[in-house]
Amino acid sequence: MSASDAAIEMRAPARGSSAAAIRAIFIVTFAITAFLIVTPLVALLYGSFRTGGPGTNATYTFDNWRGLLEPAILDTLLITLFISIVTSLFSSAFGGAMAWLTYRTDFRFKRALVAAIGLSFFFPGFILAMAWVILGSPGGVLNAFLSEVFGIDSEPFDIYSVAGIIWIQVLHITPFAFFTLRGPLSSMDASLEEAAYASGANPWQVARRVTMPLMIFPLLSSLLLCFVLSVEQFAVPAMVGIPGHVNTLATELYLLISFSPPNTGLAAAVGLAMSAVTGLSIFIQRRVVHRRNAPTVTGKGYRLHMLRLGRWRGLAEILCLLYALLSFIIPTIALLYTSGIKFFVANPFEAAWTWRNYVQIWESPGTVRSLINTLIVAGGGAVLGLTLGTLIAYSTHRLRPRGFRALDVLASLPFGIPGIVIGLGFLWSYVWLPIYGTLWVLIFCYVARFLPYATETVGAQVVQLDKSLEEAAWTSGAGRVASFRRIMLPLLRPALQSGYFLLFIAYFREIAAAALIYTSKTEVLSISIWSFFENANWGVASALSVVTTVITVSLMVAMTRAPLKL
Amino acid sequence: MATGITIKGLVKRFGDKTIIDHVSFDIAVGELVCLLGPSGCGKTTTLRCIAGLEAPEEGRIEINGQPVFDSAEKLAVEPYRRNAGMVFQSYAIWPHLSVFENVAFPLRVRNTPNAEVEKKVMRTLDMVGLADFRARSAQQLSGGQQQRVAVARAIVHEPDVLLFDEPLSNLDARLRDATRAEIRRLQRELNVAAVYVTHDQAEALSLADRILVMSEGRIHQAGTPQEIYGAPRDAFVADVVGATNFLDIAVHAVGDGTVQGVAPDGAPLRVTGRMAAPGPARVMVRPDRLRVAPDAGEQGENCLHGTVRQRLFMGGHYEYAIAIGPTVLRAFSPVQVAEGGRVTVSFEPCDCIVLETRGAP
Ligand SMILES: Nc1ncnc2c1ncn2[C@@H]1O[C@H](COP(=O)(O)OP(=O)(O)OP(=O)(O)O)[C@@H](O)[C@H]1O
Ligand SMILES: [Mg+2]
Repeated sequence: MSASDAAIEMRAPARGSSAAAIRAIFIVTFAITAFLIVTPLVALLYGSFRTGGPGTNATYTFDNWRGLLEPAILDTLLITLFISIVTSLFSSAFGGAMAWLTYRTDFRFKRALVAAIGLSFFFPGFILAMAWVILGSPGGVLNAFLSEVFGIDSEPFDIYSVAGIIWIQVLHITPFAFFTLRGPLSSMDASLEEAAYASGANPWQVARRVTMPLMIFPLLSSLLLCFVLSVEQFAVPAMVGIPGHVNTLATELYLLISFSPPNTGLAAAVGLAMSAVTGLSIFIQRRVVHRRNAPTVTGKGYRLHMLRLGRWRGLAEILCLLYALLSFIIPTIALLYTSGIKFFVANPFEAAWTWRNYVQIWESPGTVRSLINTLIVAGGGAVLGLTLGTLIAYSTHRLRPRGFRALDVLASLPFGIPGIVIGLGFLWSYVWLPIYGTLWVLIFCYVARFLPYATETVGAQVVQLDKSLEEAAWTSGAGRVASFRRIMLPLLRPALQSGYFLLFIAYFREIAAAALIYTSKTEVLSISIWSFFENANWGVASALSVVTTVITVSLMVAMTRAPLKL
Repeated sequence: MATGITIKGLVKRFGDKTIIDHVSFDIAVGELVCLLGPSGCGKTTTLRCIAGLEAPEEGRIEINGQPVFDSAEKLAVEPYRRNAGMVFQSYAIWPHLSVFENVAFPLRVRNTPNAEVEKKVMRTLDMVGLADFRARSAQQLSGGQQQRVAVARAIVHEPDVLLFDEPLSNLDARLRDATRAEIRRLQRELNVAAVYVTHDQAEALSLADRILVMSEGRIHQAGTPQEIYGAPRDAFVADVVGATNFLDIAVHAVGDGTVQGVAPDGAPLRVTGRMAAPGPARVMVRPDRLRVAPDAGEQGENCLHGTVRQRLFMGGHYEYAIAIGPTVLRAFSPVQVAEGGRVTVSFEPCDCIVLETRGAP
């Protein structure tokens, strides 16, 4: 008989002891999430009915909501929609085409293409915008080139325009479309296409009649996602739109707050209207994702039939190379160049080379502090964000106590809220708290804004892990905590790593949410770069951008396996 | 004999569906009991209730005389305090741990000294024939090897009860036979109560001391493999434990333990069973208990006449489909008769059982 006395002694009546602990953890998780996400939204709603900002002598009013119908705001809305629809169409077309080339054809440089798209995926939007200002503004490199080489002095390139915004946003958002579409494209059951070939269809007929219809839901999902990314885009319209007097909703909101006297009430109403547009799109997008019905393969060892591109292959390769050049390589060269010269001239042969811009980064205490701030916010904040995200993912996918659905909905809300709007909500609700003006506000704001990144990354892995892996630990005698630590955590490690990496990068380069809530003491890199740039100090701005890019890219290379796996 | 597992009045519901409906049974220490039944009848759920992975609505569960669950006392011992060993259907081998560490886990969480861990794990790995694989990552194992790791992990800490949930369902036939014998040997050696869930009747018959046939959340019949196979209560049980033939007969005389009647083709019958009064009855007889012979005009008790509809060569015997009037009987026999040939089919009274009509298909 193996029942030892010790084993009997261990059997304390225990109903509820761990159930209560789990309940407590869930409630705390729920409370923190609700606080982070609901507070700013409620504050915005409240603010949209107030005549003045926090701390002012304000009363209730409907004027802010009426203000939405004023021609200036309506114009901005139309421009935003126009820019976003065009951006979404082009990004999805380019991203989809490149994903198709990579996973369905005999395109030769697949690894290089995926690497290039990965690089531009992580290339911060505000740095890309800055580079394209250097390249495409009147007096910029491209116009100078036309004038010097071809004698065209009319300066045909003007980046400070609607077209300029669309151009940069398409370059920036195309990778998102690529990553949204590559999964469905690469896992689609090849036998469906093969059956079409066997029935006598030629490659183009197969693409049109089989592949495209099967991809309709993923495509729709990509279109909606790119649309939302474009509506909420702040960096690009701020850097090229504001100088060109082209405003989108995001920059309009920013200007309403930052120009005296600030119109916080109207800004809140604009923010909520924006959130309605993005939130609705994300809601539809999620429904579409759930319905996506392209049959996929789960088995192993099948060979995809790769379409032979024939004489089109060379052209496809050149176009993809062009994308890499425009989205990453040329902008980087432009930044390196600008960061290495004394004052900006378009012609490198007339430039005076110098290290001064880099030296200035280290000599200016403000910049060093902003670098340190950024590292604290990204490095430390990502730990908090990842912890909260893991608790949420574990609760909603595994524990599933009463109320888990509400938590799931709460945690995915930030997907539909533009960064600048979350920033405004935090500005409004945290003004009262003692932590206002400290890095904590930034950290909380980023944790809230990027919560879905964490819950989705970790959640996807939790779903993959069979429940019995943990149950086997319990029946082996390990308690809840011990089995979580010894079984779940190690098994989740890959997801935790890539989640941390994603959050770090996102926090590191965030500008939209920070634009309204930073103070002189809590300036971060993205803000510093932007202000140097606005003060026409392109040299230091470029040098800082190069530093930021180097940090981002080396991080990406260090953890390359997750995003770049082909 | 001491009882290893006692279950009284167990009820488990999911939503408003009752999955386990007042199940009660005892398992002696050293006894291996198979839960047998069609898919969805609640076998896994019963096992998970014993392990503590599901919280039942009602009932009482004891392990070695100690209550681990009691709805009236609001007692529910956590799964990790029940000192059970469980083999999951999916194996649940942890991919991030080596074979050795997978097996060592139950000891490690009990703070066993390293030297003892080493000794016990190696002894257990030896038992399941995996000593050479100790350093392997669990991902580099075949299905059969993973299954044996799961068994080793379930027994290494000398649990009070062993729970197996269809542990062999993913193995090929030969490996399944070998591992089944191994499981039986290990359980005897440990001398603990064991519950073995399966829906493979051959497995249940060959492995179990006792079989519990489950249906829709209830224990339909309990008994030794011989009883279940030889004297099923009704058509449902008869069907669950193996291929069988049913005959509808007319009973005209009821005796003590036997009844007499006539078959559909008019032949006189004497079969085993009790009935309250004469009338129509359903009987069953296993295909391997039927004697097949070329028709030589022979008449008598339990001797039916028919025509061979189909003959399949199965290696050791032929499988016949024999039409007797409107009924078709399956019979296994080494005797060779061509398709279309006339045959007599006979059987002993003790091989033909009267069934309860409730639950007849
Ligand atoms: N977590 C759950 N929630 C709701 N219903 C469940 C749950 N787990 C099991 N069931 C239902 O309980 C019934 C019994 O399930 P169980 O897994 O015990 O069946 P089983 O006898 O093991 O079947 P199988 O032989 O297919 O493994 C099934 O109808 C199943 O759908
Ligand atoms: Mg089961």
